[in-house]
Parts: sequence; C-alpha cells; structure tokens
Amino acid sequence: MFKQLGIVGTGALGTGIAQLAVLSKIDVQLYDVNDTLLRRSTVRINANLRKMVNLGTLTTEELQAAMERIRTRTSLPDLGNCEFIIESVIEDIRVKKDIFKHLDASTKSTAILASTTSSLSITSIGAYTRNPERIAGVHFFHPIETSALVEVVKGYNTNNETIEKIIAFVTLLGKIPIVVKDTPGFIANRVSQPLFGEALRLLGENVANAEQIDRIVKKIGGFPAGPFELMDQMGIDAMLAEAQSLFEQSFYEPRLRPHTILRQMVDSGWLGKKTGKGFFSYEENNSK
Amino acid sequence: MKTGKKKTPRVSKNNTKISKVNIKVTETTPSRAKSKPTPPRIFIVGESPMVEQYAELCTAHGYDVFISWNEKLARKPEFKSDRIKITNVIPSNTSLVMELTNINTLAKKKNMERFDKELAETAPMLSSSITVTATEQSSWISGKHRLVGIAALPALIQKPCVEIAPTIYSPKETLEVVKRFFQSIGKEIEIVQDRIGMVLPRILCRIINEAAFAITEDIASPQDIDTALKLGVNFPFGPFEWVEQIGLKQVYAVLSALQADLQEERYRVSPLLKQMALTREY
Repeated sequence: MFKQLGIVGTGALGTGIAQLAVLSKIDVQLYDVNDTLLRRSTVRINANLRKMVNLGTLTTEELQAAMERIRTRTSLPDLGNCEFIIESVIEDIRVKKDIFKHLDASTKSTAILASTTSSLSITSIGAYTRNPERIAGVHFFHPIETSALVEVVKGYNTNNETIEKIIAFVTLLGKIPIVVKDTPGFIANRVSQPLFGEALRLLGENVANAEQIDRIVKKIGGFPAGPFELMDQMGIDAMLAEAQSLFEQSFYEPRLRPHTILRQMVDSGWLGKKTGKGFFSYEENNSK
Repeated sequence: MKTGKKKTPRVSKNNTKISKVNIKVTETTPSRAKSKPTPPRIFIVGESPMVEQYAELCTAHGYDVFISWNEKLARKPEFKSDRIKITNVIPSNTSLVMELTNINTLAKKKNMERFDKELAETAPMLSSSITVTATEQSSWISGKHRLVGIAALPALIQKPCVEIAPTIYSPKETLEVVKRFFQSIGKEIEIVQDRIGMVLPRILCRIINEAAFAITEDIASPQDIDTALKLGVNFPFGPFEWVEQIGLKQVYAVLSALQADLQEERYRVSPLLKQMALTREY
C-alpha cells in the first residue's frame, strides 16, 4: 500500500479524504495554496477526531498519532515523493489540467495521480500528462464520512495496475469501490439524473406539485427523501451546474437535458436551503 | 356502505350526461337479521402478478375477490385466502372492479367494454392508466362517471399509498367512494393529473431506461450500477432490482407509452431493454 499519500486541495472532500487516510494509518502530504487554508483543514480534522474520542470510537493516543501523520505543504513539488496523489480542487478543467501538468512534471512516473472530479473527463485530464496510464478518477460521495461508495474511473488510457492499486486503497479506507468507464456523470450521477429530471418535468407539466411528487416518491417509491427536498439540500445552483455539465459533455443527449425551472430558480436567487427559499420555503420556523 | 339509487341524469359542465349516483360498495344483502353480512365483492382482471397482489390485499381486508387474467398463466397461483375465486364470470352484486392491464391495450379495451355492459351502474371502475390515460379509456365506455385511473405496477401494490387520476367525467362522489375503498385496504391516495406514467412509474421507468443505456455503453455491470445507486445516492433499490420486481415487459410498456405520448427523443427506449422485453422476462 502507498506509504505517502498526497492530497491537493483542502475543501470538504480533500479534508475528508485526509481524515480517512490518517485513520487508516497512511501518511498524508496535504497541499493548498496558503497556510490559512491548511490550518483550517487540520483544525477541522482534529475537531472531527476529537468527537470520535468523545464517542469512544477513538483513543486520545490514536488521535495524536493520526494528526502526526499529516504534513502540510504549499508547494506542489513537495509532493514529489508521494506514490499516490489525489486532486480535489474546484470543478474547472483548466485548473485541474494545470495541476496535473505540474504534478506530472514533479512526481515519479510510477506515481498514481487521481482526480475526485464528479463531472469532468479523466481521459481529457490525462491527456495533459506524459503517462496517462497512471491517471484515474476517484469519485467520492457526500458526506464522505458516511457514504460508502467510491467510483473508480478508468480513463481510456488508464491501465489495470493503476485501477487495482486504487481499489486496494479505497478498500483500506473502508469504502466500496466500483470501477466505471470514463463517461459523463459516470454511473451514480448519470443514472440518478431522471429522478430529478422527470420530477422537474412533472412539475413543469402540472401533473403534480413539488410536495406531492416528493411524497409519492417517498411513500410509494421508498426513497428516503424526495427529489425536490434533495435539490433544495444540495443547492439548486449546484444541481443546475451538474445537469448542464452532464448535458454538454454528452454532446447534448436529449435524455439529459436540464429543465428551464432550474435556470429560472437560480436567476431568482432561490437556491434552496442555503438561501432560505427553493422549491420549499425555509423560514426561521423551519416550515416547508 | 350501501347501494345507492339511480337518480335522473344531469348534464355536466362538459355537456356530458352523468348520473349523480350515490355510488357505494355493497356491505350487506337484504337478509334475515341473524345471518352474517356478506362481504363486498370485487372483481379484478388484468395481468399477473398485479391481479394476485391486489386480490391478496383485498381479501386481507375483508373483501370477497373474483379474479381473471387476460392470458392463461403457466402455473396456477396458490393463495393464502380461500376468498379468492378464479372465474371469468363477473358475479352479481359486484361492488367494484379493477382493471390491471398495462401491456395489452386491446385486452384492456375488451375488459373495459365488458365492464361497461355487465356491471351495475353504481359500481366504480378502477383501471390502471399508466400506459393508456383514463380519459382515453373513458372514450371506450358509456359509464364514464364510474371510471378513475390508478397507477398499478407490480412492486408498488403493497405500498401504503396509490396514485389516482380522475377524469373530467369523474364526479366527486366517485372519488369519495374510491378514496374510501383504498382506505379500507390500508392505502392513502394521491390525486394527480391523468397522464401517461403518472408520477412514480414514469420516474422509475426513466431511471431503468438510463441504466439500460449505461449497460449498452459498457460503463459498468448491472450489479455495480445497482450498488452505485444504493450506496452513492441512497436509492432504496438499484434499477435492475426494480426491474426484477416490476418486470421488463411492464417497464417497456410504460416507456413505449411515454415515447408515443410525448414524442420526444428523451423518451427513446433503450434498444437493449426493448430486446430483452420482447424476448424474455428479466
């Protein structure tokens, strides 16, 4: 297994992966552009591990040992000795390609470079490196602490050795890996898209209202949450961005076309829970 | 609930004569005071396993059920209740009928026409309307006021709620009877517009269709797709597990009806799904 794991980006996902890795006794080189971001990340990890100590699922010694496995870096070449590097920055192909170019130049040719992208092409990212056979995707799901699934994405040039090593790593973290081909949305996001897409169509065609559709999907379908509740939770702007990305990357496959309702809601500032209003209203008294 | 009397027909807003009847399910027969009340009678016809599923549900809640299928079954099912009778004859005093056909539209039409002729004017007709709208089915019969569409699909019948779709001919009295019937068998109702697929069947079948396209493109295996949807996005079942429960032919029937109704490329049926539905059950 990898002795040194590099993580680029200290957002929720990068921090979550770092936490899982140190708990699995893997040394982590954590990178971001400045010390403030890095400190925020390590403080968050420490707080989360402290909660585990309070719950009795971790000892104080284990917490200490875990935190000692984290080294923070502000220079990408400092990750040069890592055998496996996971990139977890914003969903912008230009930013990711730039990072992979730098990593490609500063790491050993045997090091595996993976992206946590949920919507961009791994093959396309890999094309910017000398050895695309070592480039893959590791798509974690939110919330990373409790979500068991990881999609391991095989780009067109990714070799089997790379995939096997990533599967072993993901399994060590206590997650369940499934290998998927590099296509828009991979599996989970693409195949689940009709839950939201058809719900929006039903709403737009006045077959039923949002509350009713959610109720039907939950009571009859057995889903834990309705599609409109979920969209409000995830953020309607995030939903629109993901839907648009999927649509564009599939070269405008009609089945994946987003609904205009999403655009109108984003333009109106109705983004869901985070703005207090989405498909439902989240007033101070928390009523729908 | 008692049998109502037929009153003078009145003209609806749409200029269609309807009877403002007190449609209720017969609860007792006129008999000697000391004899036991006869349970209400329900006649169910259509496709397996929906016929059997609704039959078991109704008998568990005190109904006598008479059933028939559009096609002879390969094996006669065994029922827990002896109050389920297999017969092609619609008994007298049938309180309510259910037509549970999604695949064979011709058979459905024949069943509805037969109900229209043989049933008492007071008996409501509940007909699955996810592949043919209740409004279109109304055009087959004269007793339009009695018909209410329902979303009937295997795997959804045991759920505590059912989608119903009234037509423009359905007076509130009919809806009230339908609501009471479903309450009597432990179900709440959700009233939605009368559209192909209604709500949940449309959503589920589109998810299954997308999963079938993913298989065609070799993106992942069916087992991995099911795992991804359950673990990644908290689906209660994966799309192929839904197919096992619902049946490929049922899924194909809903998708084909959606494609024909909406005429959009979006509803194009996966060639793999079509092939499997036409050759064998999943």
